[in-house]
Amino acid sequence: MAQDVAAALEAAGTESYPLTEAQSGLWYAQRLDPANPLFNTGQYIELLGPLDRPAFEAALAQATGEADALSLRMVEGREGPRQFIEPSNRPVLEIVDVSAMPDPEAAALDAIARDMATAIDPTRDPLAGETLFVLGPERHIWQQRVHHLAIDGYGMILLTQRVAELYNARRRGTTPGGPPPSFDVVLREDADYRASARRQADGDYWRALFEDRPEVASLAPGNPVSAFSFHRSAAEIGPAAFAALGEVGARTAIPWPDVVTALTAAYLQRHMATPEVVIGVPFMARLGSGAARVAAMLMNVLPLRVAAPDGAPLDDFLGAVAKSLVRARRHGRYRSEQLRRDLKLIGGQRRLHGPLVNLLPFDETPRFEGLESRLEVLSTGPVEDITFTFRLHGTDGLRLEVDANPELYPEIEVEAHAARLKAFIERAVAAASPDEVPLATPEEAHRHIVTLNATAHPVPGATLSALIARALAATPEAPALRFAGRTLSYGDLDARSAALAHELARRGIGRGDIVAVALPRSLELIVALIGVLRAGAAYLPLDLAHPDERLGRILASAAPRLALARAADAPRFAGRVDTLAPEDWPEEPTGAAPEEPQPDDAAYVIYTSGSTGEPKGVVIEHRAIVNRLEWMRVHYGFGPQDRILQKTPATFDVSVWEFFLPFLAGACLVVAPPEAHRDPVALARLIREERVTTAHFVPSMLAAFLAEPSARGLALARVFCSGEELPADLRERFHRTLKAELHNLYGPTEAAVDVSYWPAGPEDLSRPVPIGFPVWNTRLYVLDERGRVQPPNVPGHLFLAGVQLARGYLGRPDLTGERFVPDPFVPGERMYATGDLALWRPDGAVVFLGRSDHQIKIRGLRIELGEVEAAVMSSGLVRQAGIVAREDGGTKRIVAYVVPEPGLEVETLRAHLGAHLPDYMVPAAFVALDALPVTSNGKLDRAALPAPDFAGSGARPPQSETEKRLAALFAEQLKLDGPISAEDDFFALGGDSLQAVGLLLHVREAFGRDPGLGALFAQPTLAGFARLIDAEAGEEDAGLGPLITLVEGDPDLPPLFAIHPAGGISWCYGRLGRALSPRRTLYGVQAPALAPGVATPESLEALAADYVARIRDVRPEGPYHLVGWSVGGIIAQAMAVRLREQGARVGVVAMLDSYPADVWRGEPDPGEDGALKALLAIAGHDPDRLPALALTRESVLVFLRATDSPLGRLPDAALDGVVRVVSGNNRLVRGHFHRRYDGTILHFRAALDHEGRDLAPAQWAPYAGRVEVVDIASLHAHLTGLEAVAAIAPALAREMAAAEQKED
Amino acid sequence: MAIEPADIRRIVTPVAPVTREKMRADIAKMLHEDPEEIGGDDSLIDLGLDSMRAMNLVLMWSEGGLELEFSEFAENPTLDGWWKLVSARQDARAGAA
Repeated sequence: MAQDVAAALEAAGTESYPLTEAQSGLWYAQRLDPANPLFNTGQYIELLGPLDRPAFEAALAQATGEADALSLRMVEGREGPRQFIEPSNRPVLEIVDVSAMPDPEAAALDAIARDMATAIDPTRDPLAGETLFVLGPERHIWQQRVHHLAIDGYGMILLTQRVAELYNARRRGTTPGGPPPSFDVVLREDADYRASARRQADGDYWRALFEDRPEVASLAPGNPVSAFSFHRSAAEIGPAAFAALGEVGARTAIPWPDVVTALTAAYLQRHMATPEVVIGVPFMARLGSGAARVAAMLMNVLPLRVAAPDGAPLDDFLGAVAKSLVRARRHGRYRSEQLRRDLKLIGGQRRLHGPLVNLLPFDETPRFEGLESRLEVLSTGPVEDITFTFRLHGTDGLRLEVDANPELYPEIEVEAHAARLKAFIERAVAAASPDEVPLATPEEAHRHIVTLNATAHPVPGATLSALIARALAATPEAPALRFAGRTLSYGDLDARSAALAHELARRGIGRGDIVAVALPRSLELIVALIGVLRAGAAYLPLDLAHPDERLGRILASAAPRLALARAADAPRFAGRVDTLAPEDWPEEPTGAAPEEPQPDDAAYVIYTSGSTGEPKGVVIEHRAIVNRLEWMRVHYGFGPQDRILQKTPATFDVSVWEFFLPFLAGACLVVAPPEAHRDPVALARLIREERVTTAHFVPSMLAAFLAEPSARGLALARVFCSGEELPADLRERFHRTLKAELHNLYGPTEAAVDVSYWPAGPEDLSRPVPIGFPVWNTRLYVLDERGRVQPPNVPGHLFLAGVQLARGYLGRPDLTGERFVPDPFVPGERMYATGDLALWRPDGAVVFLGRSDHQIKIRGLRIELGEVEAAVMSSGLVRQAGIVAREDGGTKRIVAYVVPEPGLEVETLRAHLGAHLPDYMVPAAFVALDALPVTSNGKLDRAALPAPDFAGSGARPPQSETEKRLAALFAEQLKLDGPISAEDDFFALGGDSLQAVGLLLHVREAFGRDPGLGALFAQPTLAGFARLIDAEAGEEDAGLGPLITLVEGDPDLPPLFAIHPAGGISWCYGRLGRALSPRRTLYGVQAPALAPGVATPESLEALAADYVARIRDVRPEGPYHLVGWSVGGIIAQAMAVRLREQGARVGVVAMLDSYPADVWRGEPDPGEDGALKALLAIAGHDPDRLPALALTRESVLVFLRATDSPLGRLPDAALDGVVRVVSGNNRLVRGHFHRRYDGTILHFRAALDHEGRDLAPAQWAPYAGRVEVVDIASLHAHLTGLEAVAAIAPALAREMAAAEQKED
Repeated sequence: MAIEPADIRRIVTPVAPVTREKMRADIAKMLHEDPEEIGGDDSLIDLGLDSMRAMNLVLMWSEGGLELEFSEFAENPTLDGWWKLVSARQDARAGAA
């Protein structure tokens, strides 16, 4: 392919040129993503009125003739890409008459959308197309489409205006202006600039500006790679705001477009909450250039650093930004692609800038004499991230267009940005400082503060003790408590708790007092808690496992009147507080009834750890906890049929609803034995034996519980999670393991257990799982640093308000005042600062994002550790994982603490993560532990995690053979002398995309495999890329058995059986299997004749029968999904016929570019040469590119060994087997006559192949009920390669899921 | 891109013609310089003019109804070069009127 095209073209009399710098960046971008149609820029103009069609055609012909860039054609040469003017590529106006269609406009717009959605190949296709749709006699639509290599947005305007000028001149009979300069001028200026000292100086400027490598973020995390389409939403900035912009511009002597750019930067900074933002500013690069009037691609993107206003006055902020803009434009010809290379920002997810802010302060609509025209810009090139474009609209308004990558931004978010930015700019022009402008629109603020928090609900004004007493008296015979095989009835509990209350009252204990409860889980514990409440006092739970010193501080701070504790534990309280042991409690009420508590009396005091280390006692009043319990009872429909598990330690406030909700609902409380809450086996048994309907788990404990085999299949009514983030992956595992509703609750101790709820049922696909919506009489606020409401999706501080707030911290008015502050939205009420970060989803659900003091940022990228955790868990390699960000020696790194499954290799896990996460999210270290340390509340105990051993990281020398050889290739390509370590990054070492192409060429030569340019960008480190090369080599396990497991997947999903192609080995399907989502098991069916001494069967039917027997052996029941490449597809069809005959259910029958035997029968048997070529192909070589290799068995085997192919490591006998199988398969196919399969064949056609050959999927029609064809832009030989698999896997996964659903 | 008078709806009465001195003064103001500092053949880019400011000037001078094209201004950004463009347009307009 690579040839000396320049010489060849010259010989043919055509001059060719290198690409300009501006074109080069685009060239490599489109080579990486050749199927992306967004490299087409385009627009259409609606022309209303009597169009003089001959004049228009003549004007267009002249203008497109002058704009010779439109006729460019690209060629790939040995020295890189080149271009030349191909006169036959010049666009010719196509006239399409749609006037007879029922809806001419729709027909035209349809055709335009189709045209714009078609990617073109700049080495083959004309770069430009011009179409005139005739909608009616006085209505036309003129569409232009030009590849970005040939034009930029301003060039398109020049071209369009030129057509209008020529048309008008013809109509008026005047002389038009002279033609614009030719493309030569662009080439000359490019060459001059490349050689100039100016370029050097410009580069110096930019490198110095970015020397400190600012962290660059955007509005959405993720990898900015252009999708094939984009979302667009628009808003109008009206005359008043536009006039105000002009006034600000006049006042500050800053052009108003720069004012808009600066305000947009301020808007973006507020979303990202970083000290500065780096935006991308498109730059025309035309001022002062001879090419100013040429319709060509000159545009550059300048990275603009904008510091947060930080309270600065508006004019100062605008002045600073305008100054940066002037400087940037002065050096604006220096290409940003080059700067990225200079700064080594290539590959991975390293950005030079965040969102683009594009100002077009000119009216783009052309004027045609006698016609009205309306312009619609369709595309101005790939949308990698998000672009804010401002176009002058008429003369007194601006149109804001927000274009965004749909893979990073949902449509609703794009719409919100258009409205929000418009509102921001309209308010900012009148503000003293950009910081004073609220970010949320008034509508957003009202919805968040008022609408979503409209939770008013009547709740009984009674106290918890009154509600319990009433319930206990109502059904005296009903069982109230189960513990260790014993049952206490409602009547018993009533009597015993009342007796204790009387005893407390007798001792003078009542309203306003605190009674400590230090009992293990037992019947007495419940009696104690209810007794204290009925006495009118507040209970204080104590954990005797805590050290004495801590116990002492709590007792000193709370000053309880009495401690209810076992006699054996009395010494712990000696000298601090009197104790009363259960054996001394009266059984029957004795005397004076205590005084009833009031709703604003304290019900309980729970101590939480303080950030300073001093425990804080949170005082919760009856009113607050009654609201929480009544909400839960009604919301989830608790009733007498329920049996609620009590397993949470009383010192953790989740226990509060476990203890008391059952009695408000007339239900039964099942008290787990002490210590059982940490024992999954005991819990599973208890839940089963006691028919528990409701249980609570902290998510990390739930993970451990689900891993317990005896928990599988348990059925409950509902399970509640709280206390920690509920990982989405855990939610899914939950629903695969248990039958129960799952609910995610959130709340700090300071707000009566929980304040928000979210149903995390099997239908919930949220990632992350939200904490949801406020409970009754409760408000959730997400506020910025200045206490203003945040709009959706913007993180802020979570505040709580409403009836459930705690009274405060016992004896600490200082701390109480710090955290419980006036509610700015409801005068006279308080709100509690949780210290948690959260955001509102667009649907109003609140998402917890972590602690405000645990914000994780690495290289400016926001990281959700939950996502890392989900990926670790989804590997199936570990039982439990805790992901934390640690700062060791000044470097923040993510560390994964895992409880591994037996035999875990850390490298395997790392490779799995590398395949699922962006590189910056892969933990820097993995620490295997026997169990994750948990606090007494069951939460992950971060402080108890050991420090990982980073020794050697950063300088691990290459180890594996692949790494060593790849290191040599890195060094050679980059001309490096020093040692290269395993963590070194190809691009960080100075590689650019051109060198990357060179590296891949050598990798292919050295390893016989090429993971592709995209893979190198994704895994640019030596170790990472070496892993990919190894993965490419197929499984290390040289499994040659007749049925091997290529991929382990969800055992509940029917597996996929992949039938070997000609060579008899099915390793080639590994990549396809790994790409399937959901992951299912992939079996490779391989030729038994690979083994020595096994004969090839007589017929392909016999072979298929043998394979059917083998797959039914491992999987007795269908549905059977089959896929086969080439010969494999032929065998799969025969297997499907046979399976149907046996009455088995067949799922999907998929072929990767297989054609029926009929088309091969006539062709000569390729013989042993063919077999050897097939062997080379299996090893990843193109046999036709190895002309020097003799096609003998010996030389091919030597070659395979020398190139380190895994095939080369096979024993001789196995290689012989491959050659034998290839020959055998040739014979079998030629002798096979298909029977009809009465189902659908899904045919993935290698659409780039078979030119000039008579091969078509339709040839299967006689042998199938239906043939469904999916075109894959690939060669036959590359169908299991990276690109093809990316296209095949989703379609195949979809079809399998559909087939399963149909059969269910 | 033609900024055509017909579309500048706000402007109903023609404003005073653009003079070379007005242009010099406008450029100087945009660059925070004294008008005397702007020589006829000085490169305005060297004096610190950038495209957005140039575009603003062209917009300003076309408010009176002149058909001025930024791309022509971009080719040769000097006071003399620009005056040539503006005066040619004004003359053509005067001739047509």
